[in-house]
Amino acid sequence: MATNEPTLLLERRARRAYELGRLRSALRLLPFVVLATVAALASGRPITLALPIGGALLALCLGLSFAGRAPGRAVVPGLLAGGAALVMPLLVATVGHACFGPACMPFCLPACVVGGAIAGAVIARMAVAQGPDPAFLAPALAIAALTGSLGCTISGAAGVVGMLAGVVAAGAPLLVAARR
Amino acid sequence: MESGGRAELRALMARLQDGDRTAFRPAFGLLWPRLRAFAVRYLGPADGEDAAQGALLRVFSRASEYDRARDALAWALGIALWECRTLRRQRQRRRESPVAPPDEPADQATPEEAAIEGDLRVAAEAILGTLRPMDVETILAAAGGPRAVQGATFRKRLQRALARFRLAWRARHGNE
Repeated sequence: MATNEPTLLLERRARRAYELGRLRSALRLLPFVVLATVAALASGRPITLALPIGGALLALCLGLSFAGRAPGRAVVPGLLAGGAALVMPLLVATVGHACFGPACMPFCLPACVVGGAIAGAVIARMAVAQGPDPAFLAPALAIAALTGSLGCTISGAAGVVGMLAGVVAAGAPLLVAARR
Repeated sequence: MESGGRAELRALMARLQDGDRTAFRPAFGLLWPRLRAFAVRYLGPADGEDAAQGALLRVFSRASEYDRARDALAWALGIALWECRTLRRQRQRRRESPVAPPDEPADQATPEEAAIEGDLRVAAEAILGTLRPMDVETILAAAGGPRAVQGATFRKRLQRALARFRLAWRARHGNE
């Protein structure tokens, strides 16, 4: 094909259309991130905590989804896995358990660990299906951790640490087993 | 396009769908001449070029939605066909009413009509993409594209292709 000026111009327009299409596609994730942030706020998470985490999650999801390839493929699994870690402590709080101080320990903290374990198992299974690739695993874990943090901060820093421990405890054995 | 080129285009579109920008240039190189040839045969040189450009931009704009299970060329030609038909309808409308009265909205599609047309276009493209390449080529040929066969053979193929199209449409959308 002769690469004359009109063809080059058309190629540039087509490239712009492609990039805009990818951006439009990435923006479909916006409602899910907004919903997660609103759910955290509605469950009593302070706005000074929920908004920065939600903002960081949104930027990460949009950026990675727009970029595509393995990190882009990691966004939806990360959100789904993090959704479990988000929902567990919020459910505990919704049924009336007071997640504050020492009273938090019997339910909220274990809920964060269980949610994290579910997230870790989901991500590990998806990573194994793709062939364990750090370019998939790292973004998926980051997104799951941020999504889960929206809910697990209900138990303070211990909740987030507990969730991450759950992720590692459930995900690592699956990944190790897959490598063998 | 020979089956090797078809398979290559399919692989390139799958890479673009995944976000691999290095596939853009070769995909452009494969798609543009074919879309242009198709649209020029359908509409003639001047309008064909416009329709082909519109179709090409639409194909790349929707590359993120490309379904890997579908044949990329059939999908792209389906988009080009709709682009050609839309352009031809627009041209016909202009010829019918060279100077449209400013307070006569009858010739212009209402937002609702435009939305319905858009939905139908997407639905028909999706169905076309699920058909076998020969069925797609036959339907496109009936709409004014190039014909590989003529006469009774073509009519028979068209009949079968349309039957499969209707079947696929009903399977997806019911008897709407």
